[in-house]
Amino acid sequence: MSILSMCQWLQDTNIGTSIRESIWVFPIIETIHVLALSISVGLLLVSDLRLMGYIMKRRPVSEVYEQIKPWMFIGFSIMVVTGIFLFWCQAVKAYNSIFFRAKVVLLILAAINALAFERGIYRTVDRWDNALVPPMEARVAGWVSLIFWLAIITCGRTMAYTF
Amino acid sequence: MSAIVPFFQWCDNSLIAQSIRNSRVAFPVIENFHLFALTVLLGSLVVLVLRQFGLVYKSQSIAEVATALRPWNRWSMAVMLTSGILLFLSEAMKCYGNTSFRWKMFFLFFALLFQFTIYNRIVKNEGASAPIGGKVAAAVALCLWFGVGLAGRAIGFLG
Repeated sequence: MSILSMCQWLQDTNIGTSIRESIWVFPIIETIHVLALSISVGLLLVSDLRLMGYIMKRRPVSEVYEQIKPWMFIGFSIMVVTGIFLFWCQAVKAYNSIFFRAKVVLLILAAINALAFERGIYRTVDRWDNALVPPMEARVAGWVSLIFWLAIITCGRTMAYTF
Repeated sequence: MSAIVPFFQWCDNSLIAQSIRNSRVAFPVIENFHLFALTVLLGSLVVLVLRQFGLVYKSQSIAEVATALRPWNRWSMAVMLTSGILLFLSEAMKCYGNTSFRWKMFFLFFALLFQFTIYNRIVKNEGASAPIGGKVAAAVALCLWFGVGLAGRAIGFLG
């Protein structure tokens, strides 16, 4: 079974068809997906900016990061759940979109970056927790995260256009 | 209402509007910046509201958190308004007949008014915890700005 035929099967399921053909459900899910950007990427911005050494410099990095983390997690959970439903009802269109494909790749890269940060430089945070400007490796993790997420937003928004 | 139709027509016919319409990529590019700014604007507001409700950053006063976030709030608002004006110009006549656009302007007017006359002053003077009035103001600001976002998204869906 090819990926395309799996996408076709997915969007032809009852749930896929219902969302697509409903006047209200699709716009509601999409609106939640967009507004939840503020509690996912919006909150991530604050911890990334602390890693880069641009915001709340007098507070420990771990404090700025750890306290916002559960809320960020709520935001990203909303994104994932609404995102799955949006994909479900238009899987073929998404599969054929170069922007959607790029978005998936970027999401994987952003996840790898987050994991590499947690397993890497963040393990030694005790040594630089109070640094006004964290070490290079942490700053790079912050920049990379922010750039990936801006690119993910761009791909997500642009896949809705037909050029 | 019809007295303002010529203004919308003038916007719709302006050189900027025509240039945006004539370009395949201008509108999507501007809209992406509008969305980046939404993320930063609402994100910085959510952090401040969480702080007012005592859910994050309790080791900093509310005024300190507000000060740290202020430049991001201001810059994103500037990008938001600039990109928003450009988007509006390019489809001014469509916006004129669009109920969601009117709601968006309603929310935007009160969001800006509330933020600059009341909310910013309140958070500037709040210390370790927000009194009930401060929490109400936080909820009002959050509702107004999310109202702008909600109505904005509805422009494309509902008409």
